[in-house]
Amino acid sequence: MHEGVAAYVLGVLDEGEHEAFERHLDTCTSCQAELKELVDVPSRLDELRHIPSASEDDPPMSMSR
Amino acid sequence: MCPVLGHLDGRFESADAEAEHRITALYQEFGGPLLRHVRKSTGNDLQWAEDVVQETIVRAWRNSARLQWEPSLIWAWLLTVARRIVIDGRRRKSVRPHEVEPPEVDMLAVPDGSDRALSAMVVADALRNLSEEHREVIEQTYLRDRTISEAAEILGIPPGTVKSRLYYGIRALRVLLQDKGVAG
Repeated sequence: MHEGVAAYVLGVLDEGEHEAFERHLDTCTSCQAELKELVDVPSRLDELRHIPSASEDDPPMSMSR
Repeated sequence: MCPVLGHLDGRFESADAEAEHRITALYQEFGGPLLRHVRKSTGNDLQWAEDVVQETIVRAWRNSARLQWEPSLIWAWLLTVARRIVIDGRRRKSVRPHEVEPPEVDMLAVPDGSDRALSAMVVADALRNLSEEHREVIEQTYLRDRTISEAAEILGIPPGTVKSRLYYGIRALRVLLQDKGVAG
């Protein structure tokens, strides 16, 4: 059950599991601690969503010219 | 009136007042910061962000036992509730047959000059430093708005494996971002 904390914090658990994990969270102090640790990771990942993709000619991630 | 019923009526009234007071207090304490966070994930859609905050506050009020937690845990839980609501909305909005696949991480270009682009580059870099197995489950779930079971089907591995890899992958990603001095 504990490993579900990452999927929970990302919001990708399937419906039933999401609810089951929330109930687990009510009593599991180690998952509560991990929730606090991991909660900022999804918003960091969100930064990737707003970046326009490279044209196909560009080398990936080229910052230097 | 029967004194017992009168007493109960009074209790119900005060329970209602208590609920209203609580919901107002929740808005005052968390509404603003929550809206600022949620706006980042709804793009510039303020109306959508406000709806998400409202729904989050209502859910928090319904789960008042969780509001007895310490403030930092309440905040982490509220952010998670809000994120889930945003993702559900995004999944509903997306028209599956015409869905455009987001680019693979390796194909992301970073226009120079903005802090946000630099920050995104740091995240993309950290993702690339993960093992293939860890990077893959993060891309196939969160970055594509897919649930564990949807990603499991696409990857051809059991849902439990996706969940477990996601756990170790996200933990590893957090450490990588921390090493770069940017994780919270």
